[in-house]
Amino acid sequence: MANKLTSGLLLLAILISALSLHIGSVNLDVASGVWDWMRLIQSREALIVGEIRLPRTLLALVVGAAMGLSGAALQGLLRNPLVDPGLIGVSQGAALGAATVFYFNLFAGLGVLATPIAGLLGAAITLFILFGLSGSIARPGIIIMAGLALSMLTGSLLAMVLNFAPNPYAMQELVFWLLGSVSNRGLDHLLVLVPAFIAGSLLIWSQHRLLLGLSLGDPIAQSMGLRVARGSRLILLGAALLVGSAVAVAGNIGFVGLLVPHVLRPLVNYRPDRLLIPSALGGALVVLSADILVRLLPPERELKLGVLTALVGAPFFIWLVWKERQRWL
Amino acid sequence: MALMQLHNLAVENRLQALDLELYSGEVLGLIGPNGAGKSSLLLALAGLLPYSGQITLKQKNLQRYSAIERARSIALQPQFVDSAWSLSVHDVVSLGRLPWGDADQKIIHAAMHRANVSELARRRVDALSGGEKARVWLARVLANQPQILLADEPVANLDIRYQRDVMRLLREYALSGHSVIIAIHDLSLAAKYCDRICVLNNGKLETTGRVEQVFDEQSLAAVFGTELFIDLERDPPIVLAR
Repeated sequence: MANKLTSGLLLLAILISALSLHIGSVNLDVASGVWDWMRLIQSREALIVGEIRLPRTLLALVVGAAMGLSGAALQGLLRNPLVDPGLIGVSQGAALGAATVFYFNLFAGLGVLATPIAGLLGAAITLFILFGLSGSIARPGIIIMAGLALSMLTGSLLAMVLNFAPNPYAMQELVFWLLGSVSNRGLDHLLVLVPAFIAGSLLIWSQHRLLLGLSLGDPIAQSMGLRVARGSRLILLGAALLVGSAVAVAGNIGFVGLLVPHVLRPLVNYRPDRLLIPSALGGALVVLSADILVRLLPPERELKLGVLTALVGAPFFIWLVWKERQRWL
Repeated sequence: MALMQLHNLAVENRLQALDLELYSGEVLGLIGPNGAGKSSLLLALAGLLPYSGQITLKQKNLQRYSAIERARSIALQPQFVDSAWSLSVHDVVSLGRLPWGDADQKIIHAAMHRANVSELARRRVDALSGGEKARVWLARVLANQPQILLADEPVANLDIRYQRDVMRLLREYALSGHSVIIAIHDLSLAAKYCDRICVLNNGKLETTGRVEQVFDEQSLAAVFGTELFIDLERDPPIVLAR
């Protein structure tokens, strides 16, 4: 079942990726564009496909996979289906880091990579404080509380940065960036995102047995020889790498990390370990599809990707709450 | 030769230094009032509580076992278990194989058969009754095939039929060359199914011995702070507060 699901999602992701390369403001021969781009021929097709559509497609895929995977991992670790990757405070920390760089114009030497790198730094600092706050006890309640407190703190600092924005344009740029988008980014951004994604995914995958063992609670997991405290930290670190880099590159893309694992869970027989890969694929699919939709809307005023996922995600979440309520009646 | 030996085992603020031996083939019952230290002893043996003193398992210091080796030899059924997810019974029982890193279907099915949950294999564990769940949790521990099975109040909240079934199951497990330690409040069941009894009170080991040595109205009355009625001549034996 889980394997069929994975192959199905993978196939869909490939199809939607192909579609994504075809959709844009100009009509062109994508196949020859890709071929030219790979042979380093600077044709118009090669430029549009290689410099604009391919990075955008890859970014959407990786950002979506990062959100889906981190959501599944954190829900499994904290044994709570309502956990969103934003909950551990790391995404807010990344946003704050990026916004601070915007504001003070720091790291100017890094060019376009200043924001994503500052975002990763912000995520790292937040995670460090989270570890300090939650201590060696990896209790879900403590982690959630510490994460919430940090979200509030970084959120208020972010509001302050916005409050004191040097000029309306800086503020507008900041707000737009925070709304979340994968447009106007190049292959450079992938250089930050992809290594963080690979490292984070490997960290989480190395603990998939722990996620399964934690299903029956801490004491049983520990009695089964699993290293709960160490493994929990590795999962948090992995999730922080995924979320931090995704937010640092693309801003806030809400609801994907919460909803995708939630929807796929019954299809993997509720196994937290088997949920990881399908959630990554599902997240990639959702974000890429949403980005295609954004591109199809009238181009005068771009609807930001993060706004769209939240606009679609929130009603869906309301429906989930409704369905959950029916179960209890 | 004892399978496991505890020497000067103590848990800070919970258990005073005690000596105890456990033999292959026996069910050892831990009894005593609430807060006596029964659960703490089980948790320390399962590696969940730091202890001082020494535990030797098969003549080797338990500290020298890796976490996985220890988990293969000693499995714990805590007092309160719940599954965070709506896992299938088969998946829950398979969890018992985690320390071994395999999913040996023969062992898993044998464990389900032993705990009488084979028919529930495809059901979701959160949809089961309390009695069914208790047997599923036990099947998970059985699939672990531990040399020593620790169970904290395995029959609490069960009706009398399931209580008997679970106690019989633990007894059979011990007789098949393993040993079982249970913390138990029901003294009649303890008298019927345990080979030896360990009386704990206020974190102190009061006595250890065979049922007929330990179940003495006067000394148990002192431990539980109430008069007791004990009749070991009957089958099943009766041990009740007066």
